Amino acid sequence: MAGVGRRKRQPEYFFDYTLLFVVLFLLGFGLIMIYSTSSYESSLEFNDPAYYFKKQAFASVLGLIAMIVVSRIPYHFWERFAFPAYFASMILILLVMTPLGRESHGARRWLYLGMSVQPAEIAKLSMILFLASLVCRMGKSVKSSKGFLTILCVPIPVCAMVYLITDNLSSAIIIFGIAFLMLFVASPEYKRFLLLTALAAGAATLVVYSILQLSESGKLGFRGERILAWMDPEAYASGKGFQTLQALYAIGSGGIFGKGIGQSMQKLGFLPEAQNDMIFSIICEELGLFGAIAVIMLFVLLIWRFMIIANNASDLFGALLVVGVLGHFAIQVILNIAVVTNTLPNTGISLPFISYGGSSVLFLLVEIGLVLSVARGIKFKDAS
Amino acid sequence: MKRKKRRLKEYRFTTSMQKKLVILFGLVLLAFVGLSVRLILINKDSGEQYKKQVLAQQEYDSRTIPYKRGDIVDAKGTPIAMSEKVYNLILDNKLIMEKEDYLEPTLAALFQCFELDEGAIRTYVTQNPSSQYYVAAKKLKYEEIAPFLELQNDLENNPDIKGVWFEEEYQRLYPYDSLACDVIGFTGKDNVGSYGLEEFYNDILNGTNGREYGYLNDDSTLERTTKAATDGNTIATSLDVNIQSIVEKHILAFNEEHRDEAREGAGSSNTGVIIMDPNSGEILAMASYPVFNLNDTKNLSGIYTQEAIDAMDDDAKYEALNALWKNFCITSTYEPGSTAKPFTVAAALESGKITGNETYYCEGHLDIGGHTIHCHNRLGDGLLTVKQGIEKSCNVVLMNIGLTVGTDTFMKYQSIFNFGLKTNVDLAGEARTDSLIFDPNTMVPTDLAVSSFGQGYNVTMIQQATAFSSLINGGYYYAPHVVNKILAPDGSTVKNIEPRILKQSISESTSDIIKDYCNGVVTEGTGVTARPAGYTMGGKTGTAEKVPRGTGNYVVSFMGYVPADDPQVLIYVVIDEPNVAAQDNARYATVMTRDIMTEVLPYLNIYQTEELTEDEIEEMKQKEELAAQTVSKNSVSGNEVAEESVSGNELQADTESESSEGAGEESESEEKEIEIDPETGYAIDPLTGELLDPQTGAPVDPTVSNLE
Repeated sequence: MAGVGRRKRQPEYFFDYTLLFVVLFLLGFGLIMIYSTSSYESSLEFNDPAYYFKKQAFASVLGLIAMIVVSRIPYHFWERFAFPAYFASMILILLVMTPLGRESHGARRWLYLGMSVQPAEIAKLSMILFLASLVCRMGKSVKSSKGFLTILCVPIPVCAMVYLITDNLSSAIIIFGIAFLMLFVASPEYKRFLLLTALAAGAATLVVYSILQLSESGKLGFRGERILAWMDPEAYASGKGFQTLQALYAIGSGGIFGKGIGQSMQKLGFLPEAQNDMIFSIICEELGLFGAIAVIMLFVLLIWRFMIIANNASDLFGALLVVGVLGHFAIQVILNIAVVTNTLPNTGISLPFISYGGSSVLFLLVEIGLVLSVARGIKFKDAS
Repeated sequence: MKRKKRRLKEYRFTTSMQKKLVILFGLVLLAFVGLSVRLILINKDSGEQYKKQVLAQQEYDSRTIPYKRGDIVDAKGTPIAMSEKVYNLILDNKLIMEKEDYLEPTLAALFQCFELDEGAIRTYVTQNPSSQYYVAAKKLKYEEIAPFLELQNDLENNPDIKGVWFEEEYQRLYPYDSLACDVIGFTGKDNVGSYGLEEFYNDILNGTNGREYGYLNDDSTLERTTKAATDGNTIATSLDVNIQSIVEKHILAFNEEHRDEAREGAGSSNTGVIIMDPNSGEILAMASYPVFNLNDTKNLSGIYTQEAIDAMDDDAKYEALNALWKNFCITSTYEPGSTAKPFTVAAALESGKITGNETYYCEGHLDIGGHTIHCHNRLGDGLLTVKQGIEKSCNVVLMNIGLTVGTDTFMKYQSIFNFGLKTNVDLAGEARTDSLIFDPNTMVPTDLAVSSFGQGYNVTMIQQATAFSSLINGGYYYAPHVVNKILAPDGSTVKNIEPRILKQSISESTSDIIKDYCNGVVTEGTGVTARPAGYTMGGKTGTAEKVPRGTGNYVVSFMGYVPADDPQVLIYVVIDEPNVAAQDNARYATVMTRDIMTEVLPYLNIYQTEELTEDEIEEMKQKEELAAQTVSKNSVSGNEVAEESVSGNELQADTESESSEGAGEESESEEKEIEIDPETGYAIDPLTGELLDPQTGAPVDPTVSNLE
């Protein structure tokens, strides 16, 4: 297959440099954008324009070291931790309620273990590991409807805990989405997935409809208002629609080539915390459609490499690990851009490698390390 | 381990799984294409609108920089109205509440530096965490905010003081409070001037606001620019703070002396004084009574009792304030009375109707058009020359002259002297008098007769003083003005306002004759009490009965100039309804004239030319002693004047009560030679006109001691 075995005298094991360079480029680009978007606010707040940049750079370096270490360890080493990791992630979520938990922006989602970590990030990684291991153990029974339902039910307790305890709907959706995509690849079925997708779409429509009905009675939580703001951001310009509208202004005002890096006006206090979930809108404003589509192309390239590695993995476990990572990246990038463009209602999903967030980049790099480890397991055909 | 590995390897990633992965990749690709299309559509459909929106938001971020309204300075450059930068204390609760660490240090610093209601501020900040603009204190001076700025800028010790800033603003200040209040006027919100100079020169005093804003340059990058404010121009006036205070001191003294004398209230309904330079039209002082504090314009407590203020509704209060704020000298009209007589004579001489050598016989009244019009001296003044007619202020003589002149010529000269027209003095609020003079087409002989001695038509003080200046300065009618220079904020001259001659009212020879007649008024006529000791003076008294006639209400006035032969200063004193038993006595005006001029003339470096009588020296000594006892009132026994009964059953007219006894002791001894011994008494320095103290030889300035 592609990228494999062009010359005769090659090392015995494959190392995916394309993936590595895409990741390094995204990391570097992310750091530049974080510095660009956050310098104004952080100089006001901390008297240090590089405050966020420094923290993110530190996490990135830490993540790169972790990535190299993980990529050197044969991925089967992790299989024995699959079950314990699944339960450990649930315990960590519970720990958020203890004094170890940290609160930020009105939500209690962080654990302080030397550094602030979101247990939801750990849960995503352990879910990938656990499901890959589970599918391998179930063997052919995956194809049965019982196996199908079992795998579908595995992420539900974790998702429920993430949603109920840390009040983090977006992470719950991502965890479930990862499981769903892994199951989709592992199962030869099509009808069930179509049915499930149709059901989900129907449920979503129903929810939106009922919220529109409820809005007249005025009894709505903040998620309900977010839906309304999504339907008509301008009507909620000073409330829930503010961030979305400002992001749209940023995207729309960028034009084809943008205002130039560092020249965003929206980051000057109008788009609050632009370095977080809304960073893609600043990319659009500063680098225009050209820059935005270039970033999307980079993610496409990344996901394409994941697909190649999965399809060439030496065994099912490795391939499923990569599929999980692929699902994780794909879901987050698509949802993030969909939220920024107001294609979906506003919910906090960060853009991998680019949005500010130390624990996020750390765990994403560990996942890349796993993928690289799987890639190393690919044996060249003439070698075998 | 080995077994497990082998088992797992049995399950390979099957072809169907690979197929599904490719499908998944295809779906992901599709999603990305969809999102890219969405991005392109946002740019295509709303790009322009959003671009504008982004810029519009930046506009909102921009900040107005206030300009400084120009000062008003007096002839010596002393500011009489100025703008001072003040600061409003603004709290940005959102910033204060952003971190818990900020709240306490910020509040502590605030309470340490400012006198604030601690409870209210704390409650407001904690209850309204989204408020970003709360004015906690207004109009603080820089000295008041300096301690806080020091704390705030000391980032090492106080890193957590956040969300406090100061909004700049200018506040209008009048350093002399009520001095020249009617002339200066005041400035309300948004730099809008009301009354006087502040209103008339509003546009010149105001500048243009500056702005700090962001804009896109050619490279579409955001730049922040500050467009500085343009401060307003300063106006330099001919007013003199010292002369103005002398004038206001004497107006106040008169009104306090006669307070509650014949009726309740101040010593007069109103008292107006104008001092001007007859050779340029520049106004040196202009004052009226009562006054108000320019820094507290809505305060009526100086004039009304608290009960009276409480009883007023809004309309009444507004009316009372308007009456207080208006400038009597240019806004109020009245019948001028006998100060108009020189105009009648000037018109007659200039038009050739009389030569000045005529004589008239006064038997106490004159019958015109079926009416008997009395002279103030009902017994009759006997045979009088024109000059004696002016000196004695004989109505019969003037009526005869007026009838000789005739309606057309008389009214032509009224217009030449600008009666019925505005003088266009550079002050807001000058009254129109066009409907308050006679219409030549409907005028009957009695109208002409009463007009000849200043009754029946109305003038303003500024009209009368400006026209009179032209009578005595050789016939040049100067435009009266207060401002003579406009200065840029940096002090450079923008515009000089030179004296402007509007017309030649009479010839120089007529002017000389009028001067001669008016000098006689002060040397031997009705105005002897007006002359300040040591000076020559000319002038004319006036006592006009107010409508309705017969109620005993009069406007008494005196128009005078110094020195008599070459007038340098003109003073016009008008007392409306003096609060005395018999109001028809011009002596109130002449005495005030003398008191004011005694102090103003030395200040203007106009020196004494006449020798002082023993009585005058004695009086000055007394005044000095009085001054030493810190008594500021220098009363000149205003009540001793003989009263003359005046009946007004018919068309009543001008009355003059200055008779020989009114001249007082001073005039008796005026002509006597006095030995001035430098060893024993006060001596007059021939060079400076100052009095020298016999003991020390140092100059003794009576005006200075009187000021105390």
